[in-house]
Amino acid sequence: MMSFLVTVEPTGEQIEVEEGQTILDAALRQGVWLPFACGHGTCATCKIQVLDGDVDVGAASSFALMDMERDEGKVLACCAIPESDLVIEADIDVDADFAGHPVEDFDAVVTAIVDLSPTIKGIHFRLDRPMAFQAGQYVNLTLPNLEGTRAFSIANKPSQADQLELHVRLVPGGAGTTWLHEQLAVGDTLRVSGPYGQFFVRKSDDKGAIFIAGGSGLSSPQAMILDLLEAGDSRPLYLFQGARNQAELYNRELFEELAQQFDNFHYIPALNAEESEDWQGFRGFVHDAARDYFDGKLEGHKAYLCGPPPMIDAAITTLMQGRVFERDIHMERFVTAADGADDSERSALFRRI
Amino acid sequence: MAAKKLNMKDKYKMLTRDLDWEFSYQDRKEAFPYEEYEGIKITDWSKWEDPFRLTMDAYWKYQAEKEKKLYAIFDAFAQNNGHLNISDPRYVNALKVFLGGVTPVEYQAYQGFAHVGRQFGGVGARVACQMQSIDELRHVQTQIHAMSHYNKFFDGLHNWNGMQDKVWYMSVPTSFFHDARSSGPFEFLLAISFSFEYVLTNLLFVPFMSGAAYNGDMATVTFGFSSQSDEARHMTLGLEVIKFLLEQHEDNVPIVQKWVDKWFWRGTRVLGIVSMMMDYMLPNKVMSWREAWEIYFEQAGGALFKDLARYGIKPPKYVDIATAQMDHMSHQTWWNFYNFGEAAGFHTWIPSDKELDWLSEKYPQTFDKYYRPRWELAKKMEAEGKRFYSKGLPQLCNTCQVAMINTEVDDPTMLVYRSTEYKGEKYHFCSDGCHDIFVDEPEKFVQSWLPVHQILQGNCGGADLETVMREYYGMDVGVDNLDMKGSPDELRWKEWKSA
Repeated sequence: MMSFLVTVEPTGEQIEVEEGQTILDAALRQGVWLPFACGHGTCATCKIQVLDGDVDVGAASSFALMDMERDEGKVLACCAIPESDLVIEADIDVDADFAGHPVEDFDAVVTAIVDLSPTIKGIHFRLDRPMAFQAGQYVNLTLPNLEGTRAFSIANKPSQADQLELHVRLVPGGAGTTWLHEQLAVGDTLRVSGPYGQFFVRKSDDKGAIFIAGGSGLSSPQAMILDLLEAGDSRPLYLFQGARNQAELYNRELFEELAQQFDNFHYIPALNAEESEDWQGFRGFVHDAARDYFDGKLEGHKAYLCGPPPMIDAAITTLMQGRVFERDIHMERFVTAADGADDSERSALFRRI
Repeated sequence: MAAKKLNMKDKYKMLTRDLDWEFSYQDRKEAFPYEEYEGIKITDWSKWEDPFRLTMDAYWKYQAEKEKKLYAIFDAFAQNNGHLNISDPRYVNALKVFLGGVTPVEYQAYQGFAHVGRQFGGVGARVACQMQSIDELRHVQTQIHAMSHYNKFFDGLHNWNGMQDKVWYMSVPTSFFHDARSSGPFEFLLAISFSFEYVLTNLLFVPFMSGAAYNGDMATVTFGFSSQSDEARHMTLGLEVIKFLLEQHEDNVPIVQKWVDKWFWRGTRVLGIVSMMMDYMLPNKVMSWREAWEIYFEQAGGALFKDLARYGIKPPKYVDIATAQMDHMSHQTWWNFYNFGEAAGFHTWIPSDKELDWLSEKYPQTFDKYYRPRWELAKKMEAEGKRFYSKGLPQLCNTCQVAMINTEVDDPTMLVYRSTEYKGEKYHFCSDGCHDIFVDEPEKFVQSWLPVHQILQGNCGGADLETVMREYYGMDVGVDNLDMKGSPDELRWKEWKSA
């Protein structure tokens, strides 16, 4: 099936729009937020400017998209169907902390494959040249004989620019992660593109940072924390790491050592299905660990969430009940083949969460 | 080097927010005297996210083009005798209700937003309200113009403005807005922008816009599209205000919850007349009222309240009762108007056999059991030449002012009568929801101007109802009221169609 690449300015995010699909539909499905309301061409909330390329304006109402606007190249994202690759400008904010490193292609040679837990492998690569990225961002891997690409967050800090450390959890039924776990060998070369994503530390805001990570969603927070500590950042940092049991709680020693070494870094692991009696730490879900630690009062922090959708969802509720709201919540959802399509109706109350 | 281009947000900020001023020699609290008295705590107005970014010059440009298009269609509609293309002359009675019930409250919305647009300490909120205020005035004007063509050919459209705050059923929407406008500025926004414009607006728009489209009324459809392009801004204002209040201070949460409860219930009572239009007055049906409620309230509202739960907001009180009543509301309301059709400013009728079958199909739980037998009886009486009109007027609820026709959820043959005593007087209510609203603000609701009470107290002139209708309501008695069958509207239509 044919598809077009649509670049959204001013953030530079990119979305693939399938033939006949509207820009809004593709954007929302790919986690790129655009303002919208009615969804069928009558309200004009989703009006965007086409900067380059051809587009069919679709069923936009003549009261919602004026003639003079059509002449200026404005379209409604909820009705507009690309007829070529496009560059559009939407009424969205550029994050002041977004560095906007360009996306490039790299050849990556596997240097090591480490068993981090029974289900998660750490895969280390050397890049053909350094990649500028922000801690928290991700890359896309092209895997042999598999259609499309697979996204993985970068776990190493940006100062190690010619390296890539990815944490790959084996997803039952997932063709990509199965291949990476079973077929990939040291010395293999993969095509990598990046960096992508709007998940990075908002350093311009000096509030303390709460990281909530679940499973292999530790990767981004790991890079972010290593980066902050390396730079001597003195804000309070809290890492809540969720896992089923001690065997799945990987890189624990790394963070325990960092907690010893840095007064402003606090490490709180949470296990929700640990059977052993010797576990002294928190038992339960990771969002409950955060609630428990702060006695429900999370106000005054920034929160960075990374992991599977149900964890993110529970963490958002905990944060909002603790009076941390959308503007201070940043996240990367790890959606896998095991997650069904989320077709439950959404309200327009929130933008990104 | 070229100057960096401002993005839309910065441009908007410079053209609006940056025009605000500091209070250097006056007390800010005196400048915004209503901002605190509801108990709402605002800690930081800069956190207000402008729900839409439209500068005044762009606003005029857009609205001017909308008007040009709209009036071109009105002209074409009038010149081509568009009224002859409607599905059935019964349809025009829905317009009569709309013009008397909705258009005047659009004017009240204009007044309300102009008022609160002055009262907020935050400039973002003031600008949004002022723009909405102008929108609402435009809606009043375009509605009047859309329907003025019908006024040339049908009865009952000539005195909507004189009737809106006097007639026993028009006082329902009128008092709803009086309640909102006499509240504080934040409650007004929660009532109108959030509860009405966001949560319930589709339930009003679908019957009118789609109803007009299904029934050949091009003027009203086009007006609907034109105003819906404004409504989106109004809805986003509703969302922003509730988020803003909930995020500003935790003490705001219980206040917001109380308003959500109150205005949801007030809204569902106002919608009674819309439910009747949808199920009974539109000759070509769009969907049933029950179906509209499922799509636009239960599904869309369900998603909204799931998100609001993160702030600690619960779904509105009595939502289960409202939902249960949706199987009854339109039937009870239309039956009530059929009964009191002598005192209404529009025509009523018995649904056709085809329509009765449609209602049976759409309301399998309730229609055949409770309502169809009434219509079969009415049909029989009509056939015998005994079209029945209840004399006098129904008792009204002291809060919502709807006639006391609402029934108990567990027994649809039993009318709900709730009452309370306040300062030695007894007050009556159609529901627990309306009872609770009164008890919370008795000093406000003892002042309710109840049209039926007012007649009985002699404040509406006239020795009898007919005189009140003729002289006080300004109705053309014997022409505007009574059954559709044999009405001048019907006779004229037959003449036009046979010519």
